[in-house]
Amino acid sequence: MGALSLVGLTKSFGALQTLKGIDLALKDGEFLVLLGPSGCGKSTILNMIAGLIEPTSGDVRIDGRSVLGVHPKDRDIAMVFQSYALYPNLTVARNIGFGLEMRKVPGAEREAAVARVAETLQITELLGRRPAALSGGQRQRVAIGRALVRDPAVFLFDEPLSNLDAKLRMETRTEIKRLHQSLGKTMVYVTHDQIEAMTLATRIAVLNQGRVEQFDTPEMIYRRPASLFVAGFVGSPGMNLLQGRIAGGRFLANSGAGILPLPDGFGHLSDGQAVTFGIRPEDVSLAGPDAPVALPAMVEVVELTGPEKLAVLRLGDERITASLAPGAAIEPGSSCRFLFDPAAIVLFDTATAQRLDPHPDRSRDHPARSEYPRG
Amino acid sequence: MPTIPTTLRPWALMLPLLVVILGVVTWPLFRTVSLSLSDAGLVATSGTFVGFDNFAKNFGSKAFQAAFLNTAWFTLLSVGAELVLGVLVALLLNQPIRGRTALRGLMILPWALPTVVNAILWRLIYNPEYGALNSLLLQLGVIESYRSWLGQPQSAMLAMVVADVWKNFPIVALIGLAALQSVPRETHAAAIVDGAGPLARFRFVIWPYLAGPLMIALVLRTIEAFKVFDIIWVMTRGGPANSTRTLSILVYQEAFSFQRAGSGASLALIVTLFVMLLASGYVAIMRRSALRG
Ligand SMILES: Nc1ncnc2c1ncn2[C@@H]1O[C@H](COP(=O)(O)OP(=O)(O)OP(=O)(O)O)[C@@H](O)[C@H]1O
Ligand SMILES: [Mg+2]
Repeated sequence: MGALSLVGLTKSFGALQTLKGIDLALKDGEFLVLLGPSGCGKSTILNMIAGLIEPTSGDVRIDGRSVLGVHPKDRDIAMVFQSYALYPNLTVARNIGFGLEMRKVPGAEREAAVARVAETLQITELLGRRPAALSGGQRQRVAIGRALVRDPAVFLFDEPLSNLDAKLRMETRTEIKRLHQSLGKTMVYVTHDQIEAMTLATRIAVLNQGRVEQFDTPEMIYRRPASLFVAGFVGSPGMNLLQGRIAGGRFLANSGAGILPLPDGFGHLSDGQAVTFGIRPEDVSLAGPDAPVALPAMVEVVELTGPEKLAVLRLGDERITASLAPGAAIEPGSSCRFLFDPAAIVLFDTATAQRLDPHPDRSRDHPARSEYPRG
Repeated sequence: MPTIPTTLRPWALMLPLLVVILGVVTWPLFRTVSLSLSDAGLVATSGTFVGFDNFAKNFGSKAFQAAFLNTAWFTLLSVGAELVLGVLVALLLNQPIRGRTALRGLMILPWALPTVVNAILWRLIYNPEYGALNSLLLQLGVIESYRSWLGQPQSAMLAMVVADVWKNFPIVALIGLAALQSVPRETHAAAIVDGAGPLARFRFVIWPYLAGPLMIALVLRTIEAFKVFDIIWVMTRGGPANSTRTLSILVYQEAFSFQRAGSGASLALIVTLFVMLLASGYVAIMRRSALRG
């Protein structure tokens, strides 16, 4: 079993506090992705779960039992590293079986386990080779095999795909996802690639400067980012963020982009409060000629990426990226009218950088303020 | 300016170097070969041609055989000790200890001292009347009275080896330290998670990165040790009772002290031959391990 919880975990290196209190709890079989920019402390958390680093304070529990002070080999974890970390002068077979060898598992049993894992990962024909004679993708498979063979309660991955080229990265990502589905084991996966995070995770913890910004399902992380940091970090292209303030129950952009109506539920915000208006590019759409609340804009740049057409729209001094259908009729240099999907609008308090949530009860007090058509 | 044809230009550029090599390597080598085939007494004279007499005489001589054994013994002991000590010190200095950078600087000091200075220091340490070693060992109760470490054939060679190890282990430690720093941290971590103890980690994680550089250190140190001259010349001049007389000392004595330049030249060529054999043996080993690795 592999329920995992991190309780008030902190870590200081000298005077510098790298982790400032991490609380995360996972049920057995979850796939947690630790997502964050370089240097935010992802590897440090993973190394503390593995037992390679001791926390300054706080606790790591596997199945409810604290594992602090327990040697990494006795924690029932296995780890896959970014650099593969294979033993250079051992064959692939011995690399995979190394953990069993060190645990004095009898030779025959070990060989059977190695053969089984090699079969799963389709690397049987590589078993006799040394790491130097393998490609990057093959090395990473061996590294994954080394973790699989141990059959641990918790798998730890530290950016396992970042040394692979784009195509291999996708294949191996799918492979890891498949492994998670078939094994049902708890996995903790570190990455700064948000596509990996979105596709693999059952839950994502977005980290920033040693704190958890948001711990939620991929969908919620994407749809309802808890802070400006999450909004900007997750998504490519990122969420459109407009600075402004509340004026008469509506959003007044600082740049002069205009006054944007707000969806239901924000009537409680006071006039003059500084807020940031967030909308994902795919929630921006072109308006037909008779749409009631469309905004006028200039089309600056249009890029066809294949599955979508990205348009940079300019309203006032502000730029907004819209992700449109590839066949959308839009020309750079022309003017257009566009709308937002009101359900997708996310409002942030500029001062605290935190998300503002609508108050469903209060909105009934100001029915007139709802200017978006329903449905 | 007159132009030089393009085909000649490389030669023109290399000419000064060729002249220097001819002057300081080729010509002396040629002279040594011709001397070794003569019965010349003084180095500057030419003597009469005697064929391979000098070689035959020297190979059969007791002095040569003793000097060869001394050289081999000195090389084996000092290079062996330098490698072991160098690796241990490198492992130590690779630990995250306080003041590690300062220690690394200090460690290199013996190697940075000129050999002659190091030899004089150790002669003082070994001094039979006021040497630090005598005083230390007496106070520890290891010996009952002061000894002449360099004055007795039984201890002179060992004392020499200690002085040489002290001087030369830092270069091994330095090469070892550089190699240790190339050991990937993640591989180390993987081995810990896999449950490998310190010995298994040394063997499977560290050794693969250490072996190649150590091999180079071994080659360099063996060839240097086989040619050893200065430290011995300053400390004992090959004595007492020729117990520290190595081949290079013998060459010097033959050619300059005993004024048998022809014989000395033949000895010098024999030493050169041995060094070339050693070097080519190592090259073969390295090539084989490079093919495997
Ligand atoms: N042993 C250490 N000594 C001092 N500082 C450290 C140590 N290990 C990590 N740090 C610091 O802690 C911070 C977090 O490091 P960590 O390796 O956890 O980042 P990360 O999120 O994994 O980054 P990346 O995406 O680049 O791998 C960094 O600022 C790093 O400099
Ligand atoms: Mg990292």
